[in-house]
Amino acid sequence: MKKKINYFYLVLIIIAGLILVSIISLSLGSVNLSPYEVVKIIFSKKDMNNSLNVIINQIRLPRIILGFLVGAGLSIAGVVFQGVIRNPMVDPYIVGISAGAGTGVTIAIVLNLQFSFLFFSTIPLTAFVGALITVYIVYNLAKTNGKVPVVTFLLAGVAVGFVLNALMSFFMVIGTRDLQKIIYWLLGSLSTASWHDIKLMIPYFLIGNVMIIFFLKDLNLILLGETHAQHLGVDVEKTKKYLIVGASLITASVVSVSGSIGFIGLIVPHIARLLVGPDHKKLYPTAAILGGMFLIISDNLARILLAPMEIPVGIITALTGGPYFIYLLRKTKKEIW
Amino acid sequence: MLKLKGIDFSYGEQQILHQIDFHLRENEFIGIIGPNGSGKSTLLKNISKLLDPDQGFIYLDKDLLNNYSYKDLAKKMAVVPQDSEINFNFTVYDLVMMGRNPYQDRWGRVREKDRKKVDEALQLTDTEKFKDKSIQNLSGGERQRVIIARAIVQEPELLLLDEPTASLDINYQRNIFDLISNLNNKLDMSVLAVSHDLNLISQYCDKLILINQGYIHTIGKVDEVITKENISEVYKTNVDIKYNPITERPYVIIIPHSKNIQRRKKNSFIVHLICGGGTGKDIMSILNDLNIRVSCGVLNRGDTDWAEAKRLNFEVVEIPPFAPIDNKAVQKNEKKISDADLIIVSNTPFGWGNLDNIRVLANFKDKDILFITTPEIEERDFTEGEITALFHKIKKNNNVFETNDNKELCSFINNRYGKTLYD
Repeated sequence: MKKKINYFYLVLIIIAGLILVSIISLSLGSVNLSPYEVVKIIFSKKDMNNSLNVIINQIRLPRIILGFLVGAGLSIAGVVFQGVIRNPMVDPYIVGISAGAGTGVTIAIVLNLQFSFLFFSTIPLTAFVGALITVYIVYNLAKTNGKVPVVTFLLAGVAVGFVLNALMSFFMVIGTRDLQKIIYWLLGSLSTASWHDIKLMIPYFLIGNVMIIFFLKDLNLILLGETHAQHLGVDVEKTKKYLIVGASLITASVVSVSGSIGFIGLIVPHIARLLVGPDHKKLYPTAAILGGMFLIISDNLARILLAPMEIPVGIITALTGGPYFIYLLRKTKKEIW
Repeated sequence: MLKLKGIDFSYGEQQILHQIDFHLRENEFIGIIGPNGSGKSTLLKNISKLLDPDQGFIYLDKDLLNNYSYKDLAKKMAVVPQDSEINFNFTVYDLVMMGRNPYQDRWGRVREKDRKKVDEALQLTDTEKFKDKSIQNLSGGERQRVIIARAIVQEPELLLLDEPTASLDINYQRNIFDLISNLNNKLDMSVLAVSHDLNLISQYCDKLILINQGYIHTIGKVDEVITKENISEVYKTNVDIKYNPITERPYVIIIPHSKNIQRRKKNSFIVHLICGGGTGKDIMSILNDLNIRVSCGVLNRGDTDWAEAKRLNFEVVEIPPFAPIDNKAVQKNEKKISDADLIIVSNTPFGWGNLDNIRVLANFKDKDILFITTPEIEERDFTEGEITALFHKIKKNNNVFETNDNKELCSFINNRYGKTLYD
């Protein structure tokens, strides 16, 4: 990179951007408010105006926070998987997480299952469990002699993903009356966001992040190649295990509340890498903030463009992010990875 | 420092290493050589804990290798791998700093000592000038120096290198090995280096281990290992051993055996060589490599050329040491000359003692005769001009040729007799 922006200023700028985007997002919607009013409502203890308070604090604020968590989570998981597997084509869903979650949800919808467990309602629960079971299977399939070779891991994920996608299609064909519901879930959306959702996902999200943060430095060394990393004192297998499990937990928690929103986990890590380089200690926060911000903006577009109808946000992320990324790719050519 | 006892290793069914035993003492520089696929890199991977041996023990100092955590091991042993291609945009400085990893905490906080060590290593490896450059923008040789700098900041007692100069040009080869040698001598690092470049490693290391098909074939001082017999046997190729006049270390020269040479009609072409005092040694070696039948004469027993001719099983017309050439020998020599297709006269000095070797040539007006004429005959004439006169007289004959050195000799033979030699 020729012009390297000072990392500190860059983080300040994107945090400022995030706050700005959040406030603007809070003011947008069927009831239009000025950003000033938004800030006033959030920081006033008493109910100024009951209905406005509900709109902001119960509807828009959780949606934005969830949007941030989902966007950040997918970007973080993308950064980690791309780093561990050392492959730029990898996204958080590569190891079959979205297929696993999708299969769980499809089965639940088609069989019209209704149950809840520890405050989980049916769909988030089946998605979360489906995702984790899939990762567990893929991880163990890839395991040979106590090691998990990343290429085997990748291939096992792709293979299991194909099987699950076929299963999912099968259930969709059987349960045609639920097709729209399933497809809507698969495309990903934040339309059902609530404080409840946030409470559901946040423990796993946090555990996953803690696991990752502990191994960020080692992930840098793994980028050089696993043998290099080991020669420099990294317990490579242990590190990979924690990183994969951490990223999977984050992805599963995110998928359970938002469906499989595509594109963010693949592209935001690359954009962040263009900005701050490959050092994960910088890449991790940058990608997280950028990803969160990107999803909040996309979700605004999803809400507003065809209002009152809502477009699944996965469509927006791909439609807006794709061309922008292609532009970046053309501009910087080979330096991207 | 490092001790291996009965190491066996297999990839699946295929056993790669058999009963490897050796001992690397403190501050020693040992080179591992062997043909492709002989198991040298696998051995190094066993020592660096990338692979676990099936059997046997590896001791690092007093402790078993397996008892070291990766972190502790990285403080004791640094590895420069064969393939150092790095696909990410790290700066040289950051990359070298990664060598401090075993000394840093989980968060990788950089301390003053870390910076100092990195600066020292950059200086030592002469990579300071591109410390802010991306590692991807460096050439292969520069990158390898950076990787060595990274190994240095690990402050290891043992440095393992796997083909550190593979695919580098000779300037970098020397550069890298000088650097390694320096680390060995000045920083007291023990060094274990795998190399397929026999000649390069032989100039630097204290000891060599020659590995063949997973067994240690020979282990010992360089000139005990680099012998014609060992190398020819293990590498299954025709080689000769010479000595580097400066380091006095042996080096291997390859003798090509092209299809042409094998198909040549054996012994149909005969060269008679007139030489003495060692001037014919290289010529004999060339002729022998070309599989040409050679006779020499007249030589005194004990002469360097006489010894070499005997070693190569050439026919020699010989006389006792320091004796002048007698009539019997002259006649014998004349017979050999008349049998030969070409007579080569080396640039040996001529005195009264060996004057007859040249005088006899005057009788063969149509024979092919080749003189090696550097240095000039006048400088080698110890007969007060007689030999020079004779020389110029013979030169007037039909088929007399001159060359300056042995290289020209080769091309002369190939050009003039190629057809006869290679059928």
